[in-house]
Amino acid sequence: MSKKHILIIDDDADQRLTVRLPLEAAGYQVSEAKSSEEGLELVKTLSPDLIVLDVMMDTATAGFQVALTLHSPDPNSEYKAYRDIPIIMLTAIHTTTPLRFAPDSDYLPVEIFLEKPVDPEVLVAKVKELLPN
Amino acid sequence: MGFPKSGGNGFDRLYREVGRADISRNLVEAELVTSVSWLIKLRWIAGAGVLLATWIVHALFQIGAPIAILSGIGVAILLYNTFFFVSERRAKQRRASAEVFQSLAIWQTALDWLAMTLLFHYSGGVESPAIWYFIFHIIIASIFFPRRTAFLLSVLAIVLVGGTVFLEYIGWLAHHPLQNYLPVALYQNPLYVLGVLSFFSTTAIFVTFLVGSIQERLRRREAEVIHLTEGLQRATIRLQAINDISKVVGSTLDLKQVLERLVETTAKAMGVRACSIRMLDKSGHYLEPVAVYGLSQTYINKGPVDALTNPLAKETLSGKVVNIPNAPQSPLLQYPLEARQEGIQSMLSAPLMGKSGPMGILRVYDVKENRFNKEDEEFISAIAAQGSIAIENAIAYQAMSELDKMKSQFIHTATHELRSPVSVTRSLLRTITAGYAGEVSEQQKEILERATRRIEFLQKLIDDLLDLAAGKVGKFVAHEMQPISLKEVIEKVVDRYKIPAQEKDIELCFRCECPEEKTYVTATVDSLDRVFNNLISNAVKYTPNGGKVSVEVQPLDGEIHIAVQDNGIGIPEDALPHLFSEFYRAPNAKEMVTEGTGLGLAITKDIIQQLEGRITVESQVGVGTTFHVFLPVAHLKNQTPSPMEKRS
Repeated sequence: MSKKHILIIDDDADQRLTVRLPLEAAGYQVSEAKSSEEGLELVKTLSPDLIVLDVMMDTATAGFQVALTLHSPDPNSEYKAYRDIPIIMLTAIHTTTPLRFAPDSDYLPVEIFLEKPVDPEVLVAKVKELLPN
Repeated sequence: MGFPKSGGNGFDRLYREVGRADISRNLVEAELVTSVSWLIKLRWIAGAGVLLATWIVHALFQIGAPIAILSGIGVAILLYNTFFFVSERRAKQRRASAEVFQSLAIWQTALDWLAMTLLFHYSGGVESPAIWYFIFHIIIASIFFPRRTAFLLSVLAIVLVGGTVFLEYIGWLAHHPLQNYLPVALYQNPLYVLGVLSFFSTTAIFVTFLVGSIQERLRRREAEVIHLTEGLQRATIRLQAINDISKVVGSTLDLKQVLERLVETTAKAMGVRACSIRMLDKSGHYLEPVAVYGLSQTYINKGPVDALTNPLAKETLSGKVVNIPNAPQSPLLQYPLEARQEGIQSMLSAPLMGKSGPMGILRVYDVKENRFNKEDEEFISAIAAQGSIAIENAIAYQAMSELDKMKSQFIHTATHELRSPVSVTRSLLRTITAGYAGEVSEQQKEILERATRRIEFLQKLIDDLLDLAAGKVGKFVAHEMQPISLKEVIEKVVDRYKIPAQEKDIELCFRCECPEEKTYVTATVDSLDRVFNNLISNAVKYTPNGGKVSVEVQPLDGEIHIAVQDNGIGIPEDALPHLFSEFYRAPNAKEMVTEGTGLGLAITKDIIQQLEGRITVESQVGVGTTFHVFLPVAHLKNQTPSPMEKRS
């Protein structure tokens, strides 16, 4: 059975490293994108099984835009084939900021929300939860 | 324009009142109306008096008189008085004009004099004792009518009496003597007739003069009172207007709204065509139009107004109210032609003075020449003073809002720029420690764990600082607050500290003495969690092994009282006043636990205050500490509390 493919979209190379190492150790194939644009491109070319997405990239809400684009219910969406790829969202924003960061189908179509710093074990466990063998 | 409707109506009413200003006329009218009804009341007595006197004369004194005719006169008086009584009532009900009451008064007088003449004629003419009753009528007429009219009426009385007497004398008119009254007939005695007539005439004229003089003096006094009353009423109306203006203008802190309301309410309260506010720009050189009511765009944009050279602006900004009675001709105007085209004749300008000097000019315009007087000057000056305060408040508020925005921006930047690298560093360290980057020796692992602990402390400090900053700029938004079960939140926090407590062999217990539905408070889950997390973690942290920490919840007069008690190291007395200050840590706390940001209790207090609660502390070194938190109970009106947000 081929390895499950995970795409990390994050502008921070160090952050990508902390996500990649535990996931590779857990036996996943990992690809990286440095920006939202690159991420959306790679979604089309790689068709990953799961996406780990950072909220703040070139803009404070770039991650939201990516999640909304991928999970758009629009029947003509160019990403409709990728609508069901689960997303784990990472953010450095502290929980007490007035924005809501809980998964919410109306507001934020992501499967799991993790606050940085993420424990490598927690990350691997959450990924396993979303990608059962 | 966002102007409250009721306020608008209020000013329209005010405008009408000030505009007419016919208070004195109203008072004269009121007096006339009262006099007419007083006359009617008196006439009931007079009519009844005639009937009674006729009966007495006839029945008691056996004096022969044309009873039927005299009684007829009495009845006639009562009848026409009934008519006047009804007419007066109706006139009052439909608030008839003064003219109606005037004509009622004239008709009454006319009929009274006719009745009096008939009474005089049928009770013996020149021999009649009723002749002196004419004097009453003359007095009444002198009171109610102007002096000339009163004299004319006196002359008329003399003519009526004299004429009747003369006609009876020459036999053209029948003489009706009172039988058994006088021993001899005197109506044809020329000396007697002449005597009575001359005394009657002089009495009539003298009474008219006397009453007229007294009345004139009274009227002069009355005029003075009216004048003073008018002044008082005008002052009251204006005070009311100023009060209303301060209310309307003071009800918002939005600068644009303050300015717009100020021009609109001022124009309406003063009943003028237009009002404008120009404020000095940042350079203090030019006056920019910031709010306008009732002026054309062409006029507003007529050209720059240079505060340093424009004579009118210069004079006003020096602190004076400037009244321009004839604008197109005034040498003070920079744009007289434009004023003429706009139809402006009068202008009144008042300075808007701030704490640090002039801020701008409030100006009213009218199409009438010479429209403004001394009172208007005082009025606009008062409005400008009130307006200046409102404008300064709004400007201060605007500055504060901008500062707030900058603060939020700072928090946002700090979040990303400060927290991200720290959190990535921690993740990187954890990745190595966990062995994802290859084998790590025991010594390396220990060093990495030390580094991790330091970075975790740094992270906590940043989080606390961000919390504090967020709290200070007003973190809770009304719609995010909801009724939350305090019991549920505290239970969760207590569960969280079960293991750390067990590790130190500390007994950690929670008791809630009221039903859960009574423990709801309006807050956010995060805020409550943070408060009790801080208090309970402190209690566990600063209680030595084998100690006890208890959390109790009790209802207390519309509040919930939460006591977090420990038998730990306690807080020295001199540390208590500083306990809730930022970055403060009691010396014995520092000794026991080296790491600590000194922000936890500052944040706790900040959150509790935002939730409209309070926190107090009692402590004794070596015995223990109790924190008391009081929070207002949320009223759950037919509304089921929403379940707690689920957080990972």
